[in-house]
Amino acid sequence: MKLKATIEHKPNIPTASMADIAFLLIIFFMLTITFEVDKTQVTLPKTTLRYEIPKQSAYVSIDPNGRIRVSDGTEQSALVSAADEVLSMAAGVIAMDPQKVFVVKAHGDVDWLKVDEVIDALKRAKVRDVYLLSDQVTVDDL
Amino acid sequence: MRLDRDRPDDEIPTSSMADIAFLLIVFFMVTTTFTATRGLDFALPEDDDDPPVVEKEESVLVEIMPNGELIVDQDPMGLHEIIPYLKPKLERNPKKPVIIRPDIATPYRFMVQVYDELRQWEDYGLEQPINISVPTQREIQSFWY
Repeated sequence: MKLKATIEHKPNIPTASMADIAFLLIIFFMLTITFEVDKTQVTLPKTTLRYEIPKQSAYVSIDPNGRIRVSDGTEQSALVSAADEVLSMAAGVIAMDPQKVFVVKAHGDVDWLKVDEVIDALKRAKVRDVYLLSDQVTVDDL
Repeated sequence: MRLDRDRPDDEIPTSSMADIAFLLIVFFMVTTTFTATRGLDFALPEDDDDPPVVEKEESVLVEIMPNGELIVDQDPMGLHEIIPYLKPKLERNPKKPVIIRPDIATPYRFMVQVYDELRQWEDYGLEQPINISVPTQREIQSFWY
């Protein structure tokens, strides 16, 4: 009896769909990426109600030590020494775009006085729309 | 005589495509940060040098102590007791101002907690949003009586 010669299969990894997967991931990241203008590390207060903040909003952040940083929404946030500097920055931003939305990103444990000074500066700069950045309340918090 | 013509290669070179694709993926993975992009809207009233005078009796004052304790119209109250207390007053006068006045040393999160609670008026069966006011220290010093 004549035996058939066994065919040797070369081991290979199927890579035909790799490019599809790779480009799918690239498109996902391209659509979801947002370049943060403020990287201040804070523990945000938690709220039940949370609304989507418009993109390109200006930021005023207050870190746990009470240091204030401001960003007009296009450039990285910069440290300011007093709330009066928030007023001058906000007034400049509002002069360019009166509808500009401002986001207050403050650490939950900072004294109200610090946030009060920032809100007062925004009021004096004729800012109308402010968002208080927050995290979602979870069942563990209730 | 048969000429041996060199046929041009009609394939697109794709050998480096995977390298470029994964380079882009790595770039996006490293630079992407999933951040909080939601918050509580807090519309600021116009800065008026001559604001309308609100009689003390017409408004409800919610004071927030540094330890988070709430004093509503001079009485200590729990967070979820505020709207049930306000409800009969607001049914008589839906425009009744509710003034949130945190102590200067009160942690910010307590103020946000109260503001968030008062914004949930619909859950308590109220028909209109509560007229919430959060005066700043400058306004308190200028206009408080």
